[in-house]
Amino acid sequence: MDVLHNLAFGFEHALTWQNLLFCAIGCTVGTLVGLLPGLGPLATISLLLPLTYSIPTGGALIMLAGIYYGAQYGDSVSAITMKIPHASSIVACIDGYQMTLKGKTGLALFTAGVSSFIGGTVAIIVLSFLAPSLGEVAFLFGPADYCALMMVGFVCVSFVTTGSLLNGLAMCLIGVLLGQIGTDVNSGVPRFTFDLPFLAEGVGLVSVALGCFGIAEITKNLDAREERSPFNGKINLMPTWPEFKRIIPSALRGSAVGSFLGILPGGGPVIAQFAAYALDKKVSKYKHEIGSGAIEGVAGQAAADEAAARTSFIPLMSIGIPENAVMALMMAAFIIKGIQPGPNMIAGHPDLFWGLVASMWVGNCFLLLLNVPLVRYWLSVFKIPYNVLFPAILFFCCIGTYSVNNNLDDIFVTAAFGFGGYLFMRLDMDAAPLMLGFILGPMLEENFRRAMLLSRGDLSAFLTRPISGTLIGLIGLFVAWQLVAFFAKVRSPGAPTPAQPEKLEAT
Amino acid sequence: MNDRNLVRGLFLMMISLGFGLGALQYSVGSLGRAGPGLFPFMVSCLLFLIGVVTVVRSRFVEAVPLDVSMKNIALVMLGLCGFAVVSKFVNMTVGIVFMVFVATLAGTSYSWKRNLKICAGLIAIAFAFQKLLGLNLPLY
Repeated sequence: MDVLHNLAFGFEHALTWQNLLFCAIGCTVGTLVGLLPGLGPLATISLLLPLTYSIPTGGALIMLAGIYYGAQYGDSVSAITMKIPHASSIVACIDGYQMTLKGKTGLALFTAGVSSFIGGTVAIIVLSFLAPSLGEVAFLFGPADYCALMMVGFVCVSFVTTGSLLNGLAMCLIGVLLGQIGTDVNSGVPRFTFDLPFLAEGVGLVSVALGCFGIAEITKNLDAREERSPFNGKINLMPTWPEFKRIIPSALRGSAVGSFLGILPGGGPVIAQFAAYALDKKVSKYKHEIGSGAIEGVAGQAAADEAAARTSFIPLMSIGIPENAVMALMMAAFIIKGIQPGPNMIAGHPDLFWGLVASMWVGNCFLLLLNVPLVRYWLSVFKIPYNVLFPAILFFCCIGTYSVNNNLDDIFVTAAFGFGGYLFMRLDMDAAPLMLGFILGPMLEENFRRAMLLSRGDLSAFLTRPISGTLIGLIGLFVAWQLVAFFAKVRSPGAPTPAQPEKLEAT
Repeated sequence: MNDRNLVRGLFLMMISLGFGLGALQYSVGSLGRAGPGLFPFMVSCLLFLIGVVTVVRSRFVEAVPLDVSMKNIALVMLGLCGFAVVSKFVNMTVGIVFMVFVATLAGTSYSWKRNLKICAGLIAIAFAFQKLLGLNLPLY
């Protein structure tokens, strides 16, 4: 029972007073900020990242993870009560908001909370069994395989988040190019720095994230010029026993779907929610009610959401390749704290790894015990008018950017990326793949150059190695499928266009 | 010209040209012995290709009008840059006041009194950050 032993070891670390406190702060602050209009998990994490600089490594990672799933839950609360989704809770708008319209807000929030708890628990079991063994597989990977894996990630993320391979890939590549700014590690040549000293170490991650997600989002809300009416309904949290019984099967189904989809490259909460919702619509006992405010419609997707959010840590911590934009940001946070995620992390920092795993479960308990009963008070953040809120968010963006290096010049970079993010948004280009490209870019280059050095410049090395060959083949198939689908659509202009997946706005 | 898809393609081509031509300034080397310019050049080529495909594709699909209003983003940018400049030459407290008064011009309504309250609140938060969290903010 190696795993149990390891988990006990992890709980030892997670249950110190200090780490409990960090976990609670992370969950609470994450929920609060995640509730704010236009701030999803990505923006919340990048906004709060500077808070963790002065905290010891273990506590900082625990707090960041807490912020992540706190933001996730805050997101679904704003979706259920006011139909304001961000990236991670589009599905919660469907049945959750219907339940609000029926006056069952409290039941929906309770269902979401309990299902998240179930989903999180299942995912943590999967995580603690799978991550160490997957970490051993990762030792078989050579540089070419890493390259191919990253490219698979690009393709999957591009397709999943934007629904259009072309746009998503373009954003990934722009991200890779932005990641090139700064000093080349191999030759020491400064690239694309225009001789500006503050660009010599590259563009700051926080600047890119806050610019593209924070500032662009604020401007979008300002352009929309609508004042949202705060939620004023009654919240009655406790369900009846038959209602409670309906939550369990659906939440378990959602947990399974979410745990699986969370591990795949490009997977993650969003795709898992849709899959779980679709599954419930097919097999649930109450499937005729789904869509008009059924408990199952909330429970399944909330469990999948939480489960996928947890299991998407597996590729990051065992292989060292983040599989979506949020995980890329997490990886950057790990690196800032001096931890390189990858196969060596579990062996080299067992206290951090198992402490983080255990703290996820602790965080789940906090969410259930703290957030669910207190949510009615937290909804009052919506009573703050946006005209007061947005200067405050701008201020936090400034402080966040400044405190990375205590350098005011970085704020100009953030402003520039805010403008860039605004242009991207108006051109209908999703910034989430850009984030992934930006963080993976330097790794991709390093591995590519290493692979080419090993094969003496022979590109066929990518095809002859079994792992990378398979992965490249998958990419080829996917691109071919997209091409065929596009031409089939153009050829028959009269045919109704297939239903586009709902536009996902990644924030 | 008022087609979002077309503009996007041209925009991508522009970015790729900027980075690609920039990359050629550095030594490119060969695949086996890559110089600093090789990888960015390859990525730019790919991006250029995607830009071309986007432009070609925009001829086949229906045009989507592009709506851009520069006022709000300009005000927000001015607020941010002004904050940095004022903080650099005077101090951050004045910077906060400047940012609040400029950025709120983009809001739906404008009031001096409310702005003063926001400033007071944010300055208090900034002091709390400085004293309690130990952030190094040049507030005065």
